[in-house]
Amino acid sequence: MSDFRQSQNEAHPNKTNTLMTGIILLLILFVTIQIWFLFGALNNALQENLNFAITTAVGSLVFAFASFWLLRYLPDPIKKRKKK
Amino acid sequence: MSKDPNQEIPKWKQDFPIEQKEATHVSRREFAKFLTLLSGALAVGNTAIVVKSLAFPEKPLIGEHPICLESQVAEGESFQFEIEGSKTIPYLLINLGEGEWRAFEQKCTHLSCAVKYRHDIGQIECPCHKGYFNARTGDVIQGPPPRPLPQLEVVIREGQVFVKAQTV
Ligand code: FES
Repeated sequence: MSDFRQSQNEAHPNKTNTLMTGIILLLILFVTIQIWFLFGALNNALQENLNFAITTAVGSLVFAFASFWLLRYLPDPIKKRKKK
Repeated sequence: MSKDPNQEIPKWKQDFPIEQKEATHVSRREFAKFLTLLSGALAVGNTAIVVKSLAFPEKPLIGEHPICLESQVAEGESFQFEIEGSKTIPYLLINLGEGEWRAFEQKCTHLSCAVKYRHDIGQIECPCHKGYFNARTGDVIQGPPPRPLPQLEVVIREGQVFVKAQTV
């Protein structure tokens, strides 16, 4: 029996690919911005500008949560679907 | 097929049921998870900086510290000294002449090279990347340093040179 998911996958075989690429690109973007933040905060640690450190820390945490939340949308591995 | 599948696979291969290719293969899912982990680690690192600066604030210099005798440092000369605090910081005492004295941290604000005073141009020079500081204010004149040199106040009493934290 085919279900909705399966027929969708058959109708749009590239969807998983696109989703995956999109998520990975977003993650790379997040991580890049976080590296930027961390770099700034480290530089700033020398300067004792606490406000900047706090702002970047909050921003970095938001990005981290966003990346964890993004994982929910990872498409299921194809292997698993076959087993069903 | 009636053949025993174990017969086809050589013994050494049975012992390692995972192919090398499979073992080193990183799927895109794994890569995405790795990136997420990295993102979490960066956030933790960034938070650690804040926690550290909140929990262990740097203590300002307390009291006056005797450095040397006024006569020991000729005009246009500088004298290097260290002050032990929560960490030991090297300083540079400068006799600008005409009774003007200055004391700066000797660590360049760029990448912490030792700076030196050059009387011929009246500036403090960082030899590492040619950064120049104003010898009176510590401000950056030229080069990569992002911030002025931290300064101490110099007090001269009875021929003895003391330094203390700058009163703003
Ligand atoms: S370390 Fe002083 S200019 Fe780079």
